[in-house]
Amino acid sequence: MHPVSGPPIKNGVVIIRGERIFAIGQQGDLQLPPNTKVLKFPDGHIYPGLIDASTDVFADAALRRDRSLNGGSVIADGLTWTDSRDDHLVEHGITTAYVNVRTGSQLPGQGAIVRPRSGGFELWEDKQQAAMQLRMTGGNGASHPLQRQAQLEAVSKLFDGLDKYIEDQEKYEKDLEKYEEDFKKYLEHHAKKNGKDKKDAKKPADKAGDAKKEEAKPGEAKPATGSPAGRRGRRGEGRPPRREPPKGGEPEELVPEELTPEAFEQLLATMMALTGKPAAAADVQGPQGRPSRTSPQGKPSATAKPGAKPAAAASKDTGPKRPTYPKKPREDLQKEALNKVLDGDLPLRIEAHRVDELRAALNLQREKEIPLVVLEQAYGADRVAEDIAEAGATVVLTDVLPFSLGAPGDTRNAYAKFDPTALPSKLNAAGVPFAIAGGTARLSAMLPMMAAAAVGRGLPEDAALRAITLTPAEILGIAKDTGSLTRNKFADVIVTNGPLFASDSRVLLVISKGRTEYEAK
Amino acid sequence: MQILNQRRTTGALLLTALCTAPIAAQDVLVQASKIVVAFGAGETKSTTLADSALLIRDGKIAFVGADIPPEARRAARVVDYGTATISPGFVLAATTLGRDVDLGEGAIAFTPDLRTAEAFDPWLEQLEQLAPAGVTAFGLTPSARNVAGGIGAVGKPGKDRGRLLAAEVFVGFSVSRTARNQERQPTSLMGAHQMLRESFTEARDGIKIGPDLAVLRQVMSGQRPAFFYADTFAELNAVLEIGASFNFAPIILGGSESDRVLQKLATRGAGVVLNTLNPSMRLAELELPAKLTKAGIAFCFAGRPDQLRLSAALAVRHGLDRSTANAALTRTPATILGQQANIGALRSGCGADFVVFEGDLLDLGARHVATWIDGKLAHGTLAHSKLAHRTGPNSKPQTNISGGR
Repeated sequence: MHPVSGPPIKNGVVIIRGERIFAIGQQGDLQLPPNTKVLKFPDGHIYPGLIDASTDVFADAALRRDRSLNGGSVIADGLTWTDSRDDHLVEHGITTAYVNVRTGSQLPGQGAIVRPRSGGFELWEDKQQAAMQLRMTGGNGASHPLQRQAQLEAVSKLFDGLDKYIEDQEKYEKDLEKYEEDFKKYLEHHAKKNGKDKKDAKKPADKAGDAKKEEAKPGEAKPATGSPAGRRGRRGEGRPPRREPPKGGEPEELVPEELTPEAFEQLLATMMALTGKPAAAADVQGPQGRPSRTSPQGKPSATAKPGAKPAAAASKDTGPKRPTYPKKPREDLQKEALNKVLDGDLPLRIEAHRVDELRAALNLQREKEIPLVVLEQAYGADRVAEDIAEAGATVVLTDVLPFSLGAPGDTRNAYAKFDPTALPSKLNAAGVPFAIAGGTARLSAMLPMMAAAAVGRGLPEDAALRAITLTPAEILGIAKDTGSLTRNKFADVIVTNGPLFASDSRVLLVISKGRTEYEAK
Repeated sequence: MQILNQRRTTGALLLTALCTAPIAAQDVLVQASKIVVAFGAGETKSTTLADSALLIRDGKIAFVGADIPPEARRAARVVDYGTATISPGFVLAATTLGRDVDLGEGAIAFTPDLRTAEAFDPWLEQLEQLAPAGVTAFGLTPSARNVAGGIGAVGKPGKDRGRLLAAEVFVGFSVSRTARNQERQPTSLMGAHQMLRESFTEARDGIKIGPDLAVLRQVMSGQRPAFFYADTFAELNAVLEIGASFNFAPIILGGSESDRVLQKLATRGAGVVLNTLNPSMRLAELELPAKLTKAGIAFCFAGRPDQLRLSAALAVRHGLDRSTANAALTRTPATILGQQANIGALRSGCGADFVVFEGDLLDLGARHVATWIDGKLAHGTLAHSKLAHRTGPNSKPQTNISGGR
């Protein structure tokens, strides 16, 4: 048994209870609980479920080509099970995968963590938006280094305007709060003036105020997109809580539920009576300060015009003026996500291949103070390994097969000079945390062979095994639940008929979250 | 490098050593904990020696294991690869070394008597890529552009330059799309088929003489293997039909749809030289080596030399046994090229072409330590870092050890 979290155990035993690992140890050292179902593999090898830190499994062809994706797109929304050869990842021992797509767009959405199943997949709870993807590479095509550098530097413009966006959102929240207070005062004032209907008018206004108080308690509610600690003090305590925008993009109706349209019309009629003007003839406005589109009888008012001024009689009133509803700033999911990246709530996974692209990615991390950066397809990472280690970034390596990027000596192929099989060993020596990943669904099945290829170029076997189990779990932020055979982690366990890195090793059994997902016939 | 000079320094023995110097000074004794003399395939068993040695003389294997004379053992330079395994060097069954244009006459479609040896450049850069990939011999084929491309050769790379082992070995034909997509006849598979049929008929039944017909007669008489570029079902059928009509067993180059004509291939006694595999291929292609083996059809690989070992590993992953996979890298292509006496094994008289791996070479985790060609180190190091302590040099051969696992 190879727990990864510790040294191999000869004649190992893993006890599973429900979804979790109950215990691991050596045969004879563990007392089996009563009524335990025992599965024996005398010549087998037990490993934790493999984790593919980058694959496009369950993304159909349309999604893989969708260049309209942006930073606000959620890949999890487009995943489907097609039962193709590539969808059967679990049969290759992969129990967890991070799914992303490489469509060519600069921000190809937010990747998701999934659990491949025998006949489908399951989205990892709370990790459906697991990381934001950023492409910082021009690919394998020929390009002038200076031109490429200019393009890379332009990436930082994606982060422009984020402060303004936050400020606008915060201003909107404050304006909304002020509006509610002003409107309450406005209603109270007119209710008082109308002595006759005072009781009827005050009741809904009070309730409106109560509702508002319950809703807005500064410092208690956490904004949906921010962290309590805040970045550079912008999101510190005292910031009013965000209001989630209503569906459909329409401004939130601030009239409390108790103030029904009938009650409002009654209130309005009272106000009009005070001014001595028939309500039907007045230029009236709705409770949000917008023009009312209906007459008191429920028919469109002939005189109601957008932006029309209140009735002249009302303007003579010395009481508080009717407040204007604040304009809601345009919602931008990409900026929301980028703010999460800056706050450290969402890792940024940067696809950067060449050395200059990797340097640009590290510069971006430094300039924007991005807490969590993962470098993907970092073929030239060995040349900047120390910089990566210093920056605290992690790396997800793909194409770790002999000469997978081009035949040696092929001068027409700029990537032929990279040696993806030697890279893991070099990163390991430099102390850079790295995972080995399939990159595509087709290559996900090759995960053990990729790790083996890295071993062939000097990577220690334990480090190679870690690179497809525990390290990807750490990079994905799920190491407390999976990645090794450890008590209380999910029971993600595979059994093979030989050493995992042998070419003819076969998966005999796959258990995912305590459930048998695959059993070799 | 660790060379152990075992020559004695005493006067009497020095005299003896000087007497034997002209021979012994050139001998190299290469030791390792495991030496695979030849990989088995099908009915043939592998021959493996444990804790043994090879004696190299004049670039060839002079003696193996217990057959090494004690005096030669004492006089030889010793290179010890410790716990590593020595296996025959890989044979790339067919390659144009990236020189498709030079190895195919563009204006004329039927040129069976052209010689690839005449276009061989021993200083080609592509030759330098072979030894790092473990390739110690290759079949230099005419390109697929001509229906009858010419006579192929067998060559070897080297540390500084390559060389030809045999100048006229096999004949290259093609019915692939490349051959019939030219600005001259044939432009269709039917046309290519007809061209082959007419030419072979003329060679068999006609009274004309000429170098082109002489080559075709050699093919029909079995003197020269005939390699045919063919991939699709229709192309494979066409080639097998020609083979059946003129009584020879073709060697298929490519053959990605061979699984659709397995029975016909087996009946005809044809061999298949598959393109090197990669993980992105269709599952049917990845499983093809195992299917061919099951049908009793000999196969090996051609294409990118750097993908040769990966191809064998992928074939093993998709159901092929290790012994046949190893043979597909060594013994089978040597046999297909008719050079089994010279390459593909480490028997006495064969070229001293071998690879050294720490671990089983079919596992990608095995480390490639060195490649030797013609008794000289062409890539890697002269000795392995792990030196194993062995009890005695006179080990006995063990057979039927196919993978060492």
